[in-house]
Amino acid sequence: MPLRPSRVGRVGVIRAPVAKTAVVAAAVTPGRGAPVAKTAVVAAAVTPRVGRRRI
Amino acid sequence: MMMTEVSLDELGPVDYVVVEFPVGASSFTGAIAAELRALVDSGTIRVIDVLILTKDADGTVEATELSDGGDLGELQAIEAELGELLAADDVERLAAAMEPGSTAGVLIWENLWAAPFASAVRRSGGQLIADGRIPVQAIIASIEADQAPATVGD
Repeated sequence: MPLRPSRVGRVGVIRAPVAKTAVVAAAVTPGRGAPVAKTAVVAAAVTPRVGRRRI
Repeated sequence: MMMTEVSLDELGPVDYVVVEFPVGASSFTGAIAAELRALVDSGTIRVIDVLILTKDADGTVEATELSDGGDLGELQAIEAELGELLAADDVERLAAAMEPGSTAGVLIWENLWAAPFASAVRRSGGQLIADGRIPVQAIIASIEADQAPATVGD
């Protein structure tokens, strides 16, 4: 079905062709070492703790 | 609320995602619509635009309005408030990330939760000079890189 007329002839807001985000594709691919199996590790990494090294 | 009724000073950050559903890999249970509706109902986000894109095997792209997709269910209320921000020119640019033979949903939303903070920053003279998203994979890679030297030679 065609787009609504209001979308035609306007300047777009996406300025360049979008590249596929490979890391996201990897995130949802089940398997050994998949990020979903590392949830606890990531949660620990982003949890504030005293003395966390920043540099 | 239409886009034109939103003061630019009060507009929250606007993000988009293109979510691809490869042929044979999709399983629509209504969960996506329900979660989206919950985000809208809680005032966390405001959905600005939605398009459904299909890319044929030969790379031809077709865009479908949400309202043309049949029974909207949970999305009915959302569809009524869409701002139709995307232009026809955006379709090909967004579809560049799609694999041939796939279908994708494009979602554009305003982060209402961030609007008051962003507005305060602007009123204070702050200017956004960079933003982005840190993929979970990058966090994992950082953690693993930190841990790697400690395991060498064990």
